[in-house]
Amino acid sequence: MSQMVVTLQRRVVLFFRKPHVQKTTKVLQGILKQVFFYTVMFLLYLPILIIAIQSVNDSINVNRFYGLTLRWYTDMFRDPELITVILNTLINALLSTLLATVFGTAFAIGIHSLNRKLRQKVIFLNQIPILNADVVTGISLMLIFKAVMELFPNIFIPLEMILSFENNISFQLSLTVLLSHLFFGLPYVVLSVLPKLSELDENLYDAALDLGSKPFDAIMKVIIPAIRAGIFTGMLMAFTMSIDDFVITFFTSGGNYDNVSTFVYGKVGKIMTPSVYAYNTFLTISVVVVLVGLYFHSAHKQMKLKQLYAQHNQKI
Amino acid sequence: MNIKKLGRLVWPYLIWLFVLVLIPLLMMLVLSFFETRGLNFDNAVFTMNHWFQDLRDPSVLKALENSFTFAGTTVIIVFLIGYPMAYILAHSSFANKMIILMLTIIPMWSNSLLRNNALRNLLSDASLVNDLLSRIGLSFIWNVKGTETGIIVALVLTYLPFMILPIYTVLEKMDKNLIEASMDLGASPVRTFFKVTFPLSIKGVVTGVIMVFLPSFSGFAVPYILGDGKFVLVGTIIEKSYNYNINFVSTLSILLVVVIFFMIFFVSKVDKEGESFL
Repeated sequence: MSQMVVTLQRRVVLFFRKPHVQKTTKVLQGILKQVFFYTVMFLLYLPILIIAIQSVNDSINVNRFYGLTLRWYTDMFRDPELITVILNTLINALLSTLLATVFGTAFAIGIHSLNRKLRQKVIFLNQIPILNADVVTGISLMLIFKAVMELFPNIFIPLEMILSFENNISFQLSLTVLLSHLFFGLPYVVLSVLPKLSELDENLYDAALDLGSKPFDAIMKVIIPAIRAGIFTGMLMAFTMSIDDFVITFFTSGGNYDNVSTFVYGKVGKIMTPSVYAYNTFLTISVVVVLVGLYFHSAHKQMKLKQLYAQHNQKI
Repeated sequence: MNIKKLGRLVWPYLIWLFVLVLIPLLMMLVLSFFETRGLNFDNAVFTMNHWFQDLRDPSVLKALENSFTFAGTTVIIVFLIGYPMAYILAHSSFANKMIILMLTIIPMWSNSLLRNNALRNLLSDASLVNDLLSRIGLSFIWNVKGTETGIIVALVLTYLPFMILPIYTVLEKMDKNLIEASMDLGASPVRTFFKVTFPLSIKGVVTGVIMVFLPSFSGFAVPYILGDGKFVLVGTIIEKSYNYNINFVSTLSILLVVVIFFMIFFVSKVDKEGESFL
């Protein structure tokens, strides 16, 4: 019996070793791989596609397609309620990202200069906000803000900024939400700056100090330019997390402040202005445009460098 | 090495983390053993009830069970789809690898609640997609809105990028010569994968599993949107009662923190420099 199994196994192995069989299996594998890859990609994009269709659908009914329109895109700037939540989201994201980038870079430089053991400990602490469940982070921050309320009774009350009285356009800035977004943005900046710092030649900093510059100038003029790719990645991550955040804003807003996510959550199953879909589609398209632009920019740069290098070699 | 003197820049961060991580944890721990009115400790009563009675309440047990089933199923499916995706990405000879990677990240830029709302629309009997397809004589009806399947589909699509990215990162950094060495020494591709590639990518897998498991275990938005509010998870209980029963919410949060702590501890054992996060 076992003899038979072994011969069968050998036959199967030999069959797959035949050149033409090998070739066919390879081609088949390739096709399967492609099909799998593009199917998953399509599924990832399906919700975004539906949002895009909803944004040009000439009706507030999301279950039927009535015809093409672009009016939700123009309405986006007219609906005072929507414009408030959009501005809330974007301004909060910009401010928290800016703060997270500045402080995160400084902290990363600090962490990098620690000895190995201490560094690993601080990196461990740094991972807590990333890995912690959003719900727990939200409740934690809410608790600490509520505790601080004894000292600052107005901490949960957002700052109201009025842009235009006639059109009733205003936005809010919530200190608690801003601090919370800074809280979960910082670790991303730290994590993306650290690897760039370990690639940095530390003698550069020493050289700058020896040449008489102050530590602050040396950091700004020597270290920062060398790690700017990492800073940029961290900034992008922090911003992405901030504009998409729902749970933490939900728990720390104190109920008087909405961003796009909490606004949508309040409207689940109810009728919502399709301008929200327009906003989302607009944002996605802008991101794609910016990314493609950046890609071509860097590709162009690399090409130029290669050409320069070739010219240089020719001269030698 | 003057750069070593910059260590003092860390102090503000340590204080920040101490105030915003450790103090709230201690507050939760204390709150979970008392019966208070919010954060007001006047007339507070010490009690073990939250830990020994409330946690055993059938509705809470059901929520824990739901959370485990949903998160567990999601992690398994996401891993089975995410690993091959990361592998294909890392081993592709595409010159435009960056673009494809960007393509996996772009969905994250679109509001996740809106995406799930769109899925809710797609997975009901009268959907926009079905309406469009019916015009060309096709139809697509998969009415799983308000069921477990709907929730799991949504969780999988929401968290898939969080599995692909960390695995891709470690596979990309891996020394490709090791694979060639293994093949040269006569191992079959399958054997090479299980003996070389997979063990070396375990860091990314662990990070990915945690990044998917935790939010699907504790989240409440996706089950609410796709489940029509029929399914209660741990997150749902926290969301519904954080305003009036902070004591039990603290108990649940501490429970989550214990789970998370074990996971972070596990990650820090396999990934000491936090490399697999980016």
